[in-house]
Amino acid sequence: MNYDPGQQFFDEMVTHEGDLRPHYEGVQRYLGQLGVPEFSRRTELLDLAFRNQGITFTVYGDTQGTERTFPFDPVPRIIPASEWAHLEAGLSQRVRALNAFLDDIYHEAQILGDGVMPAELVYTSAHFRREVHGLKVPQGIYTHIVGTDLIRDEKGEYLVLEDNLRSPSGVSYLLSNRDAMRRIYPGMFEGQGVRSVQHYATTLLGLLQSLSPREDGTVVVLTPGMYNSAYFEHAYLAQQMGVELVEGRDLFVDGGRVWMRTTGGRRQVDVIYRRVDDDFLDPLTFRRDSTLGVAGLVEVYRQGRVAIANAIGTGVADDKAVYAYVPDMIRYYLNETPLLNNVPTYLGWNPEHLPYILENAAELVIKAVGEAGGYGMLIGPAATQAEVSEFLVKVRANPRDFIAQPVVGLSRHPTFYPDTEEFEPAHIDLRPYILVGSQEVTIIPGGLTRVALRRGSLVVNSSQGGGSKDTWVLEHDGPGQPSGMSQIMHGDVGDQRQAELEGADLQDPPAQGQHQTQAQTTRGQSQYQGGFGAVPLGGPRESERQAAQVQAYEQSQELDPLTGTRRQSQRQGGQSQSQSQTGGGEQRQSQRAPAAAPVPAAPVPAPQGQHSFQQQLEKAELSAEPPEPTALELERQVQEEVSPPLIEPHDQARADRARTGQGEPSGQAEPSDAAKRQESPTPSPATPGSPATPDKEKF
Amino acid sequence: MLLLSRLAENLFWIGRYVERAENTARLLNVNYFASLEMGTRAREIWMPLLELTGGDAELRARYGRVDARSVSAWLAFDRENPSSIASSVARARENARGLRDRIPSEMWESVNRAYLNLCFEGSAVLERDGLFEYCNAARDASQMFFGIAFATLPRDEGWSFMRAGQTLERGDNTLRVLQSRFRGIDATAMPDPAGRTLQTQRWVSVLKGSSAYEAYRKRMQSDVEPLSVAQFLLLDEYFPRSVRYSAENLQDALMQIERFHPGKHPEILRLSRWLVARLQYAAINDIIDHDNPALEELLGDFNRVGAAITAAYFQPE
Repeated sequence: MNYDPGQQFFDEMVTHEGDLRPHYEGVQRYLGQLGVPEFSRRTELLDLAFRNQGITFTVYGDTQGTERTFPFDPVPRIIPASEWAHLEAGLSQRVRALNAFLDDIYHEAQILGDGVMPAELVYTSAHFRREVHGLKVPQGIYTHIVGTDLIRDEKGEYLVLEDNLRSPSGVSYLLSNRDAMRRIYPGMFEGQGVRSVQHYATTLLGLLQSLSPREDGTVVVLTPGMYNSAYFEHAYLAQQMGVELVEGRDLFVDGGRVWMRTTGGRRQVDVIYRRVDDDFLDPLTFRRDSTLGVAGLVEVYRQGRVAIANAIGTGVADDKAVYAYVPDMIRYYLNETPLLNNVPTYLGWNPEHLPYILENAAELVIKAVGEAGGYGMLIGPAATQAEVSEFLVKVRANPRDFIAQPVVGLSRHPTFYPDTEEFEPAHIDLRPYILVGSQEVTIIPGGLTRVALRRGSLVVNSSQGGGSKDTWVLEHDGPGQPSGMSQIMHGDVGDQRQAELEGADLQDPPAQGQHQTQAQTTRGQSQYQGGFGAVPLGGPRESERQAAQVQAYEQSQELDPLTGTRRQSQRQGGQSQSQSQTGGGEQRQSQRAPAAAPVPAAPVPAPQGQHSFQQQLEKAELSAEPPEPTALELERQVQEEVSPPLIEPHDQARADRARTGQGEPSGQAEPSDAAKRQESPTPSPATPGSPATPDKEKF
Repeated sequence: MLLLSRLAENLFWIGRYVERAENTARLLNVNYFASLEMGTRAREIWMPLLELTGGDAELRARYGRVDARSVSAWLAFDRENPSSIASSVARARENARGLRDRIPSEMWESVNRAYLNLCFEGSAVLERDGLFEYCNAARDASQMFFGIAFATLPRDEGWSFMRAGQTLERGDNTLRVLQSRFRGIDATAMPDPAGRTLQTQRWVSVLKGSSAYEAYRKRMQSDVEPLSVAQFLLLDEYFPRSVRYSAENLQDALMQIERFHPGKHPEILRLSRWLVARLQYAAINDIIDHDNPALEELLGDFNRVGAAITAAYFQPE
């Protein structure tokens, strides 16, 4: 295969000297044998398979519907055993410290008392939840499911870019990617010693069950609903674990317990793997206008009668200003030296750092602490002077809300471009998924590798041309063991070769230090080079636009599956606008229209000729007794008249229903006999032809 | 076995919407090709179809005329029309999306493929004379979906809810077809031979629209004339798309559901048994000539069963 890695960045497959790294030998040989035309043909199959399976994320204003497949590059990213062992140790260490930190600050806050980090930073964090202070969580674990974003700098050192401790998503893409790869390129795996990722769902279920306050408790996955852009993942995980996928309206609290509504009546719920943000979890405790949550849930949680994963309030530890102190937490709680370094971070909060940030803004990446991904950030080297000054006004006004980091050049990886039918280098990052149990920390080998598919782009966000790759962790450090060559392993081979093959022979990851890998040689080098304008997140223009919009964004609660970017709400159009009006830039979560009012409808026999629709029946019920409209819904009503809502059909019907229930003119004419079938409140489809809002879906 | 109310509702409606897409596709296909031989009298073909699917006024407002082209576009692709094929498939798929963790992946994939293939088409299909393929694809998608369900969906409560939705929709649809035909001129006897031929043609279309023509020929051994067509489509014991057969299957599905909640919702079964009894014992002359029971009443019975299911199982405590 023809491939020019270039010299500017660390290349995952080829060394600076132009030598193939041994762990890529097998794949390179396979690709050479397969040939580009066949490789290309199979890549198309792969895309079709994703499309038919609906492995998508949600996008608005797209003429082909609101869902898109996530671009996928079939050249796998490969991590040798010793490198992975290092990452695994570093990540485990990190999540242990983070959990200790969360437990501490929600109880005695000794770390603050000891002056290791400033109390002000913790208590001013937007994600600190005083409501759960002193609350005892099962097993003392706060963040059970973690996705940590790693990048590699120009020297190849792995650095932690951010921790996602609330609802990290993307693991379903990792699992689907592997399934698709095995199906389409089975030969690529042969004799490679690729470690399996299939145990994720089982491990997750075991972890969730271990939290249950009752024996054999019932576990559910709580989703904001099918219009959430990570809905595929919620459904996928529920299906893989064999547990119910519920929405807030399926649950209720009664008698100090949480129940779900079933056709056979109520059923108790013991463990909630929630993919709904803190703010929307319980309208009695947090946002009163939330219809995504369950009223009274937090009280049941406080009484220990239901477990919630991740715990409430974990977001305080992935605040970007708090992130800067994670290495200190590791030293403080574990008395260990951090194995994985942070990207050096300057805090706007710190009077000693602030002048540096202000003076060197043109060379730095400045990020808002409560945001993630491309939101609210400035990339100095890519911005104009005017943009820099404009951004610095915000920084001066609220220094606590900003941090600055040097620009890091992400490592690159060979990637197939169907248009040129060539392999070209593209920038990548890595998000491993970590499950934290009381007995052990499980990290699924590999993680989700995101790749900036747009040529020259340093942005892995899929809204900006990002895609993903299958990520392989090998059982060894060297080249795979080609089938039919096993006898070589016992024969004489050269020194280097032998060492590698011995590695290949090991069932378990080889002991560290048996042979030096790139990661090991470079570990400890933490010189950060500015320079190439390579930044992990948010391309210049996009990020600028986003920065402008960020105040107005209504955001979904959940981290975007791929970037950790806060995703914007499902509901565009009227509703989200009305929310931004109320909330002026607070984090927002998409809201569902409320479930139908609990009115036992006198069965209304449809008049002759009338064709019933799902929503129509519900509408009839509602007109019988309208639900109490929430403030948001009232606002939406008003808003919808002004701007055409951009909501998917099924859902808009629900909105209509709510509207009709509130006695607003529904726009439905008096049903004339033949037109009865038309009577149902059916919206225009949201997709084609709607005045599209800009595509703001961020991955 | 546990079933969330919301999912039960989704399953019920997925059954209805997929069946509806298929029915609309059958009707459109048959009528479109019949209209090609009708010359200037095309309107007579289309009006009953519009009566039963609704949307006459909206159609005129959107297309300005009622002809083969506008009606086809309206019934096939137009997402403004809530009962078009595309709308039904899209709604079915929305319901399936809510069920992704519940139904077999193969079922989801089949409805998702149908959505991708059928819901983004437009009048270009008519330009390239592709309506036949389009309607067949919709019909096939429905049959594929129910076929996969038949082969892979566990026979728990959820299956019965889907089946209830499907059979209710089917009975409802056949009743509507008959209703619209008996309301129009097709029901009155034609004096001249040419008129009779035309009338026969239209009743053949009715049969074909329910995929019943061949079965009718074999079973009835008589000419195609209104009363026997009505008898076949309403009361036949063996034809799977007859109203009676649909009602019996609906009753069967409801009894399966009842088993999971014995005695909790007696009203549903009372209504469905009453409906089945009427269809089993009524004579065709009573229904058509004496409105005893009238087609409207039977349609009302179906809808009452639907409303009772909703009240009993889908609404919050």
